[in-house]
Amino acid sequence: MNEEQGTYTIRIKGHLSEQWATRFEGMTMTFTEEGETHLTGTLADQSALHGLLRTVRDSGLELLAVNRVDGE
Amino acid sequence: MSILSSKLQMPLLRPDLVQRSRLIDYLNAGLYRKLTLISAPAGFGKTTVASTWIAQSNYPTAWLSLDGRDNDSARFLRYIIAAIQRIDADIGQLASEVLQAGQQSSIEAVLTSLLNEIAVIPDDFWLVLDDYHLLESPEIDDALRFLLEHLPAQMHLVIITREDPQLPLSRLRVRDQLTELRVADLRFTVDEAAEFLNHAMGLTLSAQDIDALEKRTEGWVAGLQLAALSLQGRTDATDFIQAFTGSHRFIVDYLLEEVLHRQSETMREFLLYTSILGQMNGSLCDAVTQRNDSQKVLEVLERSNLFVIALDDERGWYRYHHLFGDALYNALNNEYPEHIPVLHRWASDWYVKQGQLQEAIEHALLANDFKQAADLIETIWPKMDENYQSGQWFEWASRLPEAVVLNHPILCLGYGWVKLLHGDLDMAEIWFQRAERWLDAPSEQHKQMAVIDQRLFEELPASICHARGYRALTMGDIQTAVQFAAQSLRLNRHHDHPNYGRGLVLHGLAQLANGDLIKADQTFSDFTAYMEAAGNIMDATELVFIIGDIRITLGRLHDAYHAYNNAFQFLARQGNPSVIGLEDLYRGIADVYLMRNQLVLAEENLLAAEELGEQGIIRPNWQSRLYATQAQLEIAQGDFATALQLLHEAEQQLVPTPVFLNHSIHALKARVWIRQGKLDVAQRWARQQGLSPDGDITYLREYEYLTFTLLQIALYQAQPSDILRTSTHNLLDRLYATTHDSGRIAHVIEVFILRALMYTAQHEIPLALNALHQALVLAEPESYIRLFVDGGQPIADLLREAEAQVIMPNYVHQLLAAFDAPTPPPPAAQALIDPLSDRELDVLRLLHTDLSGPEIARQLVVSLSTMRTHTRSIYSKLDVNNRRAAVRRAQELALL
Repeated sequence: MNEEQGTYTIRIKGHLSEQWATRFEGMTMTFTEEGETHLTGTLADQSALHGLLRTVRDSGLELLAVNRVDGE
Repeated sequence: MSILSSKLQMPLLRPDLVQRSRLIDYLNAGLYRKLTLISAPAGFGKTTVASTWIAQSNYPTAWLSLDGRDNDSARFLRYIIAAIQRIDADIGQLASEVLQAGQQSSIEAVLTSLLNEIAVIPDDFWLVLDDYHLLESPEIDDALRFLLEHLPAQMHLVIITREDPQLPLSRLRVRDQLTELRVADLRFTVDEAAEFLNHAMGLTLSAQDIDALEKRTEGWVAGLQLAALSLQGRTDATDFIQAFTGSHRFIVDYLLEEVLHRQSETMREFLLYTSILGQMNGSLCDAVTQRNDSQKVLEVLERSNLFVIALDDERGWYRYHHLFGDALYNALNNEYPEHIPVLHRWASDWYVKQGQLQEAIEHALLANDFKQAADLIETIWPKMDENYQSGQWFEWASRLPEAVVLNHPILCLGYGWVKLLHGDLDMAEIWFQRAERWLDAPSEQHKQMAVIDQRLFEELPASICHARGYRALTMGDIQTAVQFAAQSLRLNRHHDHPNYGRGLVLHGLAQLANGDLIKADQTFSDFTAYMEAAGNIMDATELVFIIGDIRITLGRLHDAYHAYNNAFQFLARQGNPSVIGLEDLYRGIADVYLMRNQLVLAEENLLAAEELGEQGIIRPNWQSRLYATQAQLEIAQGDFATALQLLHEAEQQLVPTPVFLNHSIHALKARVWIRQGKLDVAQRWARQQGLSPDGDITYLREYEYLTFTLLQIALYQAQPSDILRTSTHNLLDRLYATTHDSGRIAHVIEVFILRALMYTAQHEIPLALNALHQALVLAEPESYIRLFVDGGQPIADLLREAEAQVIMPNYVHQLLAAFDAPTPPPPAAQALIDPLSDRELDVLRLLHTDLSGPEIARQLVVSLSTMRTHTRSIYSKLDVNNRRAAVRRAQELALL
């Protein structure tokens, strides 16, 4: 695996509709009972991560946490 | 660049908005601070609060709604200037000029000019930057930091953003210079929610329902607004609210779906299709939705508070609230992804019809319609190149697939120019060849070639020649440059085309480098006259100092003076605009005064030149030109040490450009050494420069060889030898032939003076006098004086002999008087009669740094004119006439 790559989970408040799948292409959406959406996926590098966070910001979504989950 | 006026328009307010007086009061209380920062996520009503506040305050306001394209710092600054011009149309003229200078001017230089101009606005005013988070350029962050550090007292900055800007916020907080409105402040309270829902949106909700909505949306106005829209016309409000508040779904998803669901199918399509537009009016929406009543739809949307914000009350421009626009686009992308390129294509076509090519290009690129994009990018090239916007142009062009670019010869040429301007000379040539390939292509291949403007293609051979000539001159390959320049002009048939003017300049520079001064003068004078007639101020004054230099060398001192005088008169007729390069007019006319030995006039003009040059407007090698002229004034006044220091700095700062200096700086230094009797140092110089008695004398080395001959004469005087005598006369004969044949009369005069010196060294006084007489005959009509005075005592003695023999008595008398004029002795290290004040000492210490004039003024927190008053007073007390001399004198006096 490219060392820049990383797998991340991004926790967002509220359940997103399926429409968001295109906006967050390549990320898997799961929903928790507490009313959170978890976006999980592998991102090419830090700037891909920042781009994703910008989408979160500009969509008015509330960001709860960002975690790297691939053991790094 | 066309300025979109809707970006400068403060969003209009609906009259029934909620009065958020707690926020307005808070903002008003912070007005004495430099910066107001409104920082919160999307949909919290930041812009609305700001515009309500400003509308109520009645302060003059410069509003700028930013977008992603403003990341180009030149564009950003243009819009800042345009926004401030809405307050006072006269502000920013100079800053715009500085900006016009393109790559050569720094952002700080533009801002400094702008700040100086702002200083005259009498009343308090605001500059508002909305959507600052869209800017990601560190350059612009720096620019803003600079602006904030030097903010004039009457100016107040407001930044509206979704993320905190890269500014020293904590420092501003500590200094009580920052008022902040953040998300906690912006959340709607229950009372505000009640007023909004039941009053502004016309609902009749119970206190309980309002409470539930406020909790669910957490005071997020975007959520409240969507909720209100979903509730309008419902009878089951409470049930709806219960279902909504019980859901975990993201508010926008839940409510937008609800709102869209309640629209008619055509309205729904309208909302989705127009979501691709950054801003819209009725006509543009008609083009994108294929309907003809969009204006009405937009008005309905605005009235029903459905997502749109009016940008402009005259022309009917609107935009979607960003958050909703994004959500609508999201929905479009899910439902009709295949429509998106088509919609962008229609938008692009509409902008083409309006003549707004920049927007048309953006939409064509988003439509992936590379053919249309390439055609438009080609069409816009000449204009953007002229306006120094090749950076933005290249940003578009580089989004095109290379295969498309290769089929557009004009795009290939543009690519080549961009590479050339960035110093990538090899890549430039590769792109020129790619353009050129189409010229020789067999006609069956022409089907693949794309050319929009046939005239540009017809001019391609000339344009490529011109570009290659510029490239050759940059590399110092003069012969090749001359050939290309001449060929380019021969090929250029359209004399009214900007290319022709540029070809002319290149042609002139090549003629000059080649020593064809008479032709170069004609070329530059024609160009200048043409630009004057066209009222093109910058071009009309740009080359005057080169014309002046040429005419001085051609022995036409009066004409040199007239060139400057004409330029000053032309500028006066234009209302004396501040124009880039004005400093070179003052410096250049000082050269003329120096030649006539009018030292006081030379000094005054040099002071003016130095002050203008300090204003941060930089043309290549300006500093070196200034130091070189200042050094010649110092030489005339007998201060050789300061002259050498100035020349040393001039040499340090010199960079290669196609514009050559009149005198090689190192040759000027050598002349000083010779006059100081440091012949060994001068000989080392001659060896380093590869100067020898039988060396090849080209025009660019002519001044060096005149200097070298002066050295040979001094050496002969010290130690006469037959070899030296023969080789010196041989040099003089060759110099006479080349200078005389090409009409460089000032250099012919020098040759005669050198001959007179040589014969004097040989004790052949009648021959010396004869040579001097020939010099006098040539010099008298134009009143050259300095050339003789620089000859020193031997020339003075010969002139006395001439006086005795009544040779040209009036002129000889005038020259002798110039010798007699007391040159001020180098000041001895003694206490000043009039000591420097503490403030002047502060200024003096800063003069001893690399800071520019405006930088020093800022450091001392005084205006530029105050700082100049100090500088002039320091110069006068230290009896010097420039910055370097002041520092030097201060060091002698142990003041530093």
